[in-house]
Amino acid sequence: MRGARPSPTTPAARPAAPPRPPADLRRAARHHAAVPPPPPFRTGLVEALGAPALAMGATFLAFGAAVAEAGLSPAWALLSTGAVYGMAGQLVLLQAAGLPGAAALPAVVAATAANARFLPMSVAIAPLLGPRRPLWRRLAALPFIAITPWAAAMRRLPGLEESARLPWFLGFALASWCVAMAATAAGHLAAPALPAPLRAALLFANPLYFALLLAADLGRPGVRGAVIGGALAAPLALWLGPAWGLLAAGLVGGTGAFWLGRRTGRRA
Amino acid sequence: MTGADLALGLTILAGLLLRAAGLLLGGALRPDHPAIAWASAVSVATLSAFVVLAILAPAGLLASVPLPARLAGVAAGALGWRLLRGRLLPAMLCGLAGLLLAWWAMPG
Repeated sequence: MRGARPSPTTPAARPAAPPRPPADLRRAARHHAAVPPPPPFRTGLVEALGAPALAMGATFLAFGAAVAEAGLSPAWALLSTGAVYGMAGQLVLLQAAGLPGAAALPAVVAATAANARFLPMSVAIAPLLGPRRPLWRRLAALPFIAITPWAAAMRRLPGLEESARLPWFLGFALASWCVAMAATAAGHLAAPALPAPLRAALLFANPLYFALLLAADLGRPGVRGAVIGGALAAPLALWLGPAWGLLAAGLVGGTGAFWLGRRTGRRA
Repeated sequence: MTGADLALGLTILAGLLLRAAGLLLGGALRPDHPAIAWASAVSVATLSAFVVLAILAPAGLLASVPLPARLAGVAAGALGWRLLRGRLLPAMLCGLAGLLLAWWAMPG
């Protein structure tokens, strides 16, 4: 890397320094000076296969088993994971589908309300996916906007060059999606071998993962307010029930944090 | 087609529309537009509320895990996170082990 640094004594003798790659790619390049840094798609894919894969895999394994217990087919389970791809809504839908004589429309409204976070999440991530890209390229990310890839991307994308962001997200998201699908299928198949206590413990992996991520966010001033606001507004969900409660808590806690942040920001 | 299939199909459609509307709206605004910051705050707050509820007052199967075991899981995860300097995967394994150990050790 030293050779690329411009020298004050011979400014014209050296070519202009190339744009610096992101920190993780630079680290990898130092280890294997002759090997070019991995493409961002692969970096994202590999990053998804650690803690995020454990969190998603455990949750979707439990979901697959729950679908089998409700007497619904593996195809229903896979379509739910692959295309709804939002666990809160999937669980609401599963509960409603299991009720005898359940009407479809109330179940759809409740499941969509439980997953209504997709709207603000997509609004927030859209500028990070490259506003200068053609719309159809950004739409490639559409089916994969779910809480795990979103939470990782909101941390990771600002540090990447703009051209690397969409490929990184697609790598991370595709790996997460494949893990979710494989875990759902395995859960449906292995339902008899997964007793209820084990499935309950597996379900805990997801909130634990996000609890650790959010605990780290408490150190980031721009995000801290929303983390605290959401936690304080959480009791609203107990009052309103699982379908609308989460949406209401997010709206109240997030909007409160947003306004407080703007007021203190103006004063500063 | 059963009611469960119809409900699934319509929920998929609604989810895709929400995501598409968000991407279109977010892409049309300046990155520093207040609406982007607001949407981000609402998303983080929703996630935070989900975590608090899942730990303190879960619904469904997770409710069958006793509260002390859930708290032990969070405490073990946080301890692992601190001791292992923010490495997520081992911290999560610590948390899950803490939950199972506490649950197993509880009387009854």
